[in-house]
Amino acid sequence: MALRQAQGDTAAQGDTAAQGDTAAQGDAAAFDFAGLAARLRPQCEALVAQYEQPRSALLPMMHLFQEHQGYVSQDAMRFAADLLGLSPAVVESTVSFYTLFFRKPVGKYMLQVCRGLMCELNGAEATMALFREKLGIGHLETTDDGLFSYEEVECLAACDKAPCMQVNLEFLYNLTPAMIDEMLELMRTGTYAIAPMVQTAKPERTWKVGQDAQVALGGKSPGTLNATDPNNAGGVGDASGVIMLDRFVSKDVAFTARSRERLVRDARAVAEIVEEEGANGHAGH
Amino acid sequence: MPVTKVLTAGIGEADLRDISVYRARGGYKQWERAVRDLKPADVMEACDKSGLRGRGGAGFPTGRKWSFLPNNGKPRYMVCNCDEAEPGTFKDHMLLEETPHLVLEGILLGAYGIGCTHAYIYIRGEFKRGYQIFQKAIDDARAAGLLGKNILGTGLDIEVTAHRGAGAYICGEETGLLNSLEGKRGEPRLKPPFPAIAGLYGMPTVVNNVETLAYLVPILEKGADWFASVGTERSKGYKIVSVSGHVQKPGNYEVPIGTTVREIIEIAGGLRPGRTFAAVQPGGQSSACIFEEHLDYPYDYESMAKAGSMLGSGAFTVFDDTTDWVKAALNSVRFYAHESCGQCTPCREGGHWLERVLHRFVEGRGLRSDLEMIRRVSGTITGLNLCALGDSIEPFLKSVVNRFPEQFEARVMQELTPA
Ligand SMILES: Cc1cc2nc3c(=O)[nH]c(=O)nc-3n(C[C@H](O)[C@H](O)[C@H](O)COP(=O)(O)O)c2cc1C
Ligand code: SF4
Ligand code: FES
Repeated sequence: MALRQAQGDTAAQGDTAAQGDTAAQGDAAAFDFAGLAARLRPQCEALVAQYEQPRSALLPMMHLFQEHQGYVSQDAMRFAADLLGLSPAVVESTVSFYTLFFRKPVGKYMLQVCRGLMCELNGAEATMALFREKLGIGHLETTDDGLFSYEEVECLAACDKAPCMQVNLEFLYNLTPAMIDEMLELMRTGTYAIAPMVQTAKPERTWKVGQDAQVALGGKSPGTLNATDPNNAGGVGDASGVIMLDRFVSKDVAFTARSRERLVRDARAVAEIVEEEGANGHAGH
Repeated sequence: MPVTKVLTAGIGEADLRDISVYRARGGYKQWERAVRDLKPADVMEACDKSGLRGRGGAGFPTGRKWSFLPNNGKPRYMVCNCDEAEPGTFKDHMLLEETPHLVLEGILLGAYGIGCTHAYIYIRGEFKRGYQIFQKAIDDARAAGLLGKNILGTGLDIEVTAHRGAGAYICGEETGLLNSLEGKRGEPRLKPPFPAIAGLYGMPTVVNNVETLAYLVPILEKGADWFASVGTERSKGYKIVSVSGHVQKPGNYEVPIGTTVREIIEIAGGLRPGRTFAAVQPGGQSSACIFEEHLDYPYDYESMAKAGSMLGSGAFTVFDDTTDWVKAALNSVRFYAHESCGQCTPCREGGHWLERVLHRFVEGRGLRSDLEMIRRVSGTITGLNLCALGDSIEPFLKSVVNRFPEQFEARVMQELTPA
C-alpha cells in the first residue's frame, strides 16, 4: 500500500521563487527591502484578517518574507513588529524558536536529510556521510559558493520511504547514492526540477578553522568527518566542535602534535566568538 | 488479512484531492446532512457513543473531551492537530496530502458538533506541499458553499483557517500548539486550566488529531454502533498504523483495533529474509519497546499498556536482530534533547546529559557506572515536567537497556589508556 506518490510528483513544481526579487549576490545593501515590504503589505494585512488576534499572523508573515527574501531578515522582523504592534525583541524571540526560519542567508538549495531513527534503520547514516563528503560541509553549514546549505533534521513523517529528505521543503523519498549524485549535478547546472530558493544576500561562511585543518581535509569543513554523531556535527562554529575536533584529530587524521594543538586552540577561539555573538539559537542558522 | 480501508479508502486509486471526485464517492454527504438535518448535539452524541478515542497519542475519549467545554457563552474553537512529528508517525501527512477533503469534512463536523464558528488546522511547517493542497481544498469547499458564510444556504457560518508551523516537535503538544497558533514561542502552558476551559485566545477550545476528526465522517455515515462494534472492549473502531523499520513493506495500514502485533508485522510484509524479530516500538518514539512475548497481544490501548508500553499515535516500528540498540537509544534520546523547549530543568538538562552518556557508549567509551546511572536517572526526569515530552525521554531507552544489556556492556571502556 504505497499511499503517497513517489518523488516525481512532488518535485514537479517548485514555486518558491518570486518574480522581481533578483538575487543581489554578495551585496546585501543592494536589496530593496522597502520595496518588498510595500509589495507584501497587502498580503500581510490579509493574513492578519484571517485571525481573531493579529499576532497569530506572525508565523505566516515570516514564511512569506522568507519566501521572497530567502531568509528572515532583521528588516522583516522589524516590519512584522511594527505591523503587529509588538517589540522587535519579542518578534525575534518568537522567530528564533522555530527551526524552519533562517535568520541568516542560506544556500539556494536547503538540503534537509532525515536523521530520525526509522531512517537510520534504513541507511540514513550512509546517506548523511555521502552528502557531507560530496558537499564538503557538515550539519548546519553552507558551501562557499552559496549554493548548498545542509542540515540533518528530525523525523519528516515519511518513515515508510526511508531514507528520505527535503529539498527546499519538497520531499524526496527512498534515497540512493545514484539519486544523490544526479540531484547535486542538476542543482549545480541549474536544471533541477525543484526551484532554487530566492537568494538576496550571500550566505556567510558557516565554518571557520585554522589553515591546518583545511589543508588536512582538502579544503573541507571538519563537519564532514563526523558521521556517527549527527547532533555534534555542527562543525567548529558549534561549541561542540571542540569535542569533535579533539576526537577526529586524535583518531582519524594524522596530525603533528603542533597542528593538533593549534586546531584545538582555533576551535576554542571560534566557539567563544560564537558564544559571544549569541549565535547558538535553536535554529542555528 | 484484516486491513480495512475506511479513511484510507480510495487513496492510491482516485484523485481525492479533486473535490468532484471526492463528492462523487459520497464525500460531504455527512456534512450536508449534519447542516440540514442534525443538531450539534446529534453529532456530539454519535461521537460519544462510537467510543472514538483520540488518535494523537493520549487516546482520550473524544466525546468526553468535548463534554468538558463549559456553557459560558464564550466563543469556542476547534483546532485540528496536524503537526505530526512524533518519530515513526506518518498517517496525518498521508491523509492531509491524499484525502484533504475528508480531513476538512471531519473538521467541519467537529466544529459543528461543539458549536464553533472558526476552526483552525495547525499544519507542520515541513508539510508545505500538504498545506498548499489543504488550502486548495478549503478554497474549493468554499466555492461549493460548504464552508464560510451561510453554508448551503442554511445561515450557518463556519470558517476554517489553515495555519502552518515552522519546525518544532513541541508544537504538537496541544498547549504548545495553541501558543504557536497565537504567534508565540511554541512553549507548552501550565495546566490546568486545560484548553477546554482556556485554550486559543483564552477561550474554550478542543484540540483533536487529524485522524480523530476524520473518523467522524464514517461514524456519521455508518452509525456510532457500527464503529463501536469493531475493536476491543474499551478500544473501539479502526486505526491507521504507520509501520516502519525492519519490515519488507513499510506503510500506513488501516486495521480494526485489536489486530495482533504479529498480524500487523505480517501485513507489512514481515521481516526481511533471514532476519529474526527483536522488538516493536508500538506507539511512536515516546513509547517503550515490546518484545517476543507480546507478539500475540491485541494492538489496543489497554493491551499495549499491559505490555508496559502504549498505543500512542499508532507509529509501529519493527526492529530485527541487526539493530544496534546503543545507537538506536542515542538517536531517540538525541531527538528529545534537540526538541526540548527548555522550560523545565529535568527535560532540558536530563536529555542532554543522557545524550552525552550514550554518545560515550556509541564510541565504546561507556563507563560501567553509567549503566547504573541510566537505570536510576529516569526517576529524576519523568513526571517532573510541564508536558509529556520530558516524560518521553526514558521509556524507550530503559526498555532496551533492560532487554539488551549485553550490547551496552560491550561498549563499556575496558581500560583507561593514558593519552
Ligand atoms: C511532545 C508532544 C507532541 C505531540 N505531538 C502531537 C502531534 O504531532 N499530533 C497530535 O495529534 N497530537 C500530538 N500530541 C498530543 C496532543 O497534545 C493532543 O493530546 C492531541 O492532539 C489531542 O488530540 P486527540 O484527542 O484527537 O488525540 C503531542 C503531545 C506531546 C506531549
Ligand atoms: S517537558 Fe520539556 S518540552 Fe515539555 S514544557 Fe518542559 S522543557 Fe518544554
Ligand atoms: S525517521 Fe526519517 S522520516 Fe521518519
